[in-house]
Amino acid sequence: MVSLTIDGMPVTVAAGTTLFDAARTLGIRIPVLCHQQNERPVGVCRVCCVDTGERTLAAACTRPAGNGMVVETDSDRTKSARRTLVELLMADHPTPCARQRQSHDCELEVLAEAENISEIRYPKRGSPRGKDDSSFVIQVDYEACILCDRCVRGCNEIRHNDVLGRMGKGYSTGIAFDLNSPMGNSSCVSCGECMVSCPTGALTNKTVVGTVLTGEPVETGFLLGLPYFEEISGTFLNLNRNAVVLRKFQTGEVICREGEYGSTAFYIIKGKADVHITAPLAHVGKSGGATGFFSKLTSFLTKSPDGDGKSIPIDGPVDVAVSGPAATLGPGDLFGEMTCMSLYPRSATVRATEDCVMIEMLRNVLDIMLRNKTLRAQLDFNYRKRALEDHLRSVPLFASLGQDFIDHLRDRVELLRFNRNEVVCEQGDVADRFFLVRIGFVKVTERHPGGDLVLAYLGRGGYFGEIGLLGGGVRTATVAALDHVELVSIHAEDFHRMLELFPDIRRNLQAVAEDRARQNLSHIATSASVPLNDFLSQGLMEANSLLLLDLDKCTRCDACVRACADAHDGVTRLIREGLRYQNYLVATSCRQCRDPLCMVGCPVGSIRRRTTLEVVIEDWCIGCGLCAENCPYGNINMHPFQVIQEGIDAAGLPLRPVITQKATTCDLCADHAEPSCVYACPHDAAHRVDPNEFFGNLPVHRTSAHRTSAR
Amino acid sequence: MRIDSTHWPWLIGTLTALSVLTASFIVYVALSHGHARGGSLPGLAYGAAGYGLILYAAFLGVRKKLPVWRIGKAQTWMRGHLWMGFLSLPLILFHCAFTWKGPLASLLMILLFITVGSGLIGAALQHYIPGLMTRSVPMETIYEEIPHLRRQLCAEADELAAGINSSGSNEGALQIEIDPEARVHFANVYKRTIRPGLSSDTGKHKKADPEHLRSAFDSLRRLLPASAYPILADIENICEEERQLQRQRRIYFWLHGWLLVHVPLSIALLVLGAIHAVMALRY
Repeated sequence: MVSLTIDGMPVTVAAGTTLFDAARTLGIRIPVLCHQQNERPVGVCRVCCVDTGERTLAAACTRPAGNGMVVETDSDRTKSARRTLVELLMADHPTPCARQRQSHDCELEVLAEAENISEIRYPKRGSPRGKDDSSFVIQVDYEACILCDRCVRGCNEIRHNDVLGRMGKGYSTGIAFDLNSPMGNSSCVSCGECMVSCPTGALTNKTVVGTVLTGEPVETGFLLGLPYFEEISGTFLNLNRNAVVLRKFQTGEVICREGEYGSTAFYIIKGKADVHITAPLAHVGKSGGATGFFSKLTSFLTKSPDGDGKSIPIDGPVDVAVSGPAATLGPGDLFGEMTCMSLYPRSATVRATEDCVMIEMLRNVLDIMLRNKTLRAQLDFNYRKRALEDHLRSVPLFASLGQDFIDHLRDRVELLRFNRNEVVCEQGDVADRFFLVRIGFVKVTERHPGGDLVLAYLGRGGYFGEIGLLGGGVRTATVAALDHVELVSIHAEDFHRMLELFPDIRRNLQAVAEDRARQNLSHIATSASVPLNDFLSQGLMEANSLLLLDLDKCTRCDACVRACADAHDGVTRLIREGLRYQNYLVATSCRQCRDPLCMVGCPVGSIRRRTTLEVVIEDWCIGCGLCAENCPYGNINMHPFQVIQEGIDAAGLPLRPVITQKATTCDLCADHAEPSCVYACPHDAAHRVDPNEFFGNLPVHRTSAHRTSAR
Repeated sequence: MRIDSTHWPWLIGTLTALSVLTASFIVYVALSHGHARGGSLPGLAYGAAGYGLILYAAFLGVRKKLPVWRIGKAQTWMRGHLWMGFLSLPLILFHCAFTWKGPLASLLMILLFITVGSGLIGAALQHYIPGLMTRSVPMETIYEEIPHLRRQLCAEADELAAGINSSGSNEGALQIEIDPEARVHFANVYKRTIRPGLSSDTGKHKKADPEHLRSAFDSLRRLLPASAYPILADIENICEEERQLQRQRRIYFWLHGWLLVHVPLSIALLVLGAIHAVMALRY
């Protein structure tokens, strides 16, 4: 035992007790930032400095009590030193930080207030340290970090996750996840320990703003008792009590509707539910309002482009068949993952076929839940068992795969997850696997001295990696996740075996690889030849095909618009208004962009590009409007269609027609040699052109583009 | 349709056909010893060919009703309409040997002249006016939307003017310090000069005259503080847009107005031509 005096009061404590703890037994509170009771003291902030009568002040949290020691915690010397220390820390800290704004309990700012520090004498940091927004659960603000190491000790010594550490030296010192990865991409399990340890707003809980879940609140204890929640941190669940609720649905009740925007996912605990696509499958070109004998005759004679796929991808563990769009989900199934993680519209309507009990959760909870290895294994098992075959067969290239080989692949494919902006493979890497996109969207880019060039966006059913595997064994492009992405990975060995067993797949893949390589070359050549001027800034050079009207020839008779409407049963896909370039009007009509942003996010994969270039919207469009929102040029429109329903209602009367919306865009009248608008122009004013070729040949290339009346 | 170098083959074809037909007519007249008439075999042939060409020209209207049908590009039909329609006139003149008697024949010839004439005028208008519209109406919009846009512009101008008219203490009013007298003057100028010009249906209202408006805005700029200039500039832009929309309406009328003469007369010509043929052959 050792006896000492603190602020004039004698105290006896066990040997090894720190001055901080000894003072605490006397009820003396020494301010501190880097120390917590449950963590090993490290004495990095020095705010707890006390005067022991020695030449220098001592950090109370690390200095053991000595026999006969006389300690002053509140002398002028300590007060002055503490004030200076707090000022120095405040100079490196945004005021107010996120935590101070949210809950007014940033320990540093509270301390500064207590010390009456309103003005900082020291200059603020010149170079910003930045933020990390990659985790769905925790917001990292490096600006607010005071390098107290409480998070590091919480992660490594309390939770033993060994994710957090220090990086850099001197002024550039900071905390880092793994080898300085973004938090969302690191091996962090989002246990929340760092967040609860942090004294400032450097690590704060992310709440999903504006989302209020209806349903029964769930106690943390109850959740921890559920199989897939048992490994989740109780701290985290406590902090996110409002982000997960228990929902009970009666038979026949609708759980979610297609096209609606949502932010939650559902995990079925009990009961069964059916998944439907309720949007009519009739193609928009066959359901419009054509009037007049000739138009109806035209409509009858014009064939509808059929979809190539046999199944509709939905945001769930199964696909639904085009012929009978319904599937069943049961206990252990998770659905709404894309909506929850990437805020896409619901891809299908889910209705309870039995009384159901489900957990509805926001993405921070889902993200943690998906890190649960048991749940992952269960979901992966469901996918391999129920959806892998449909998924492979929905890709036309693999339609001929034998059942034996699919069974062989079932256990050999790897299911990989990627967060937003995470790189799947890098240009120049060794090509060791082939990928199929299962959920989400990826961006394929090629590195060039002038910057990255986007080659394609791939969604569900898309595949990549074949060029590297078939060619020199090196990746020719970089692929990164645009949102929450899940991929099916086929190892090189299985890929090559597949090609040996199925020569037609090899032939098709080779043709695709050659075609893609050719397109990429043409894309690069085009980009290199593009002059930088106003014209470029309008994005016209990114178009593959522009509908141009020569205004010196156009008599504004609208024959083009009428032709378009007639070709599509009364719904025009072009508007005779838009940008003007010299004497040309760039009509508002699909440009078949090289970089088709409209394709990103379609929850049912109904918008796609044919091999012959044109962008088409398939029959099963659910009318969510995401493609229309994504098109930067306003060239996709939502049109209401009256759909006649078959059957009778409860009163025995025929069902009334319903109005449904579908997206429409120019399909270049793919069934004909020439688009109808061009064919029907009597004045030789309408032309579909390749902008690079067309404008490259124009004598003057400087006139700026401008929009006609924008009102 | 713009008559440019792409019309050379049609021009040459038409002139060749005209030369051949003229030569044949000269031979026919010479051989008939001054008795050339529509009822003779060559006369009937000319008449049938002429009526056939008129019929073909009229089919352009039907072609336009079937824009999707792959029955030849609309521009080919239009070129045919122009040149063959023109060729029908000499053929009909050859048919009647430049003389016509009786009320129906006279009426038909008048109709033919007016129809071909209006067609020529129309072709000339459609050659020049699109370029004129492109140059003089940079804010061109879809014709059918003009009334709606004009209403929008008026409402927008009223809203902007209200920003200056209402006192700064009113809720929603702009916080511009304006002398009360200047405010009253602005309200008067807006009400009596600017607004009538904006809502004029013809665009020919004296108040819509650009010079008149410019001087009104200049006087307002001298009177109002600089902080009100952006609002004045916005109102002035609205007046300019309104003027362009009126100009578009006028040009559009000239671009398509001739069809009001050409189309009904063409139909009448076709119908009466058919009656003439039946009557002449039967009686």
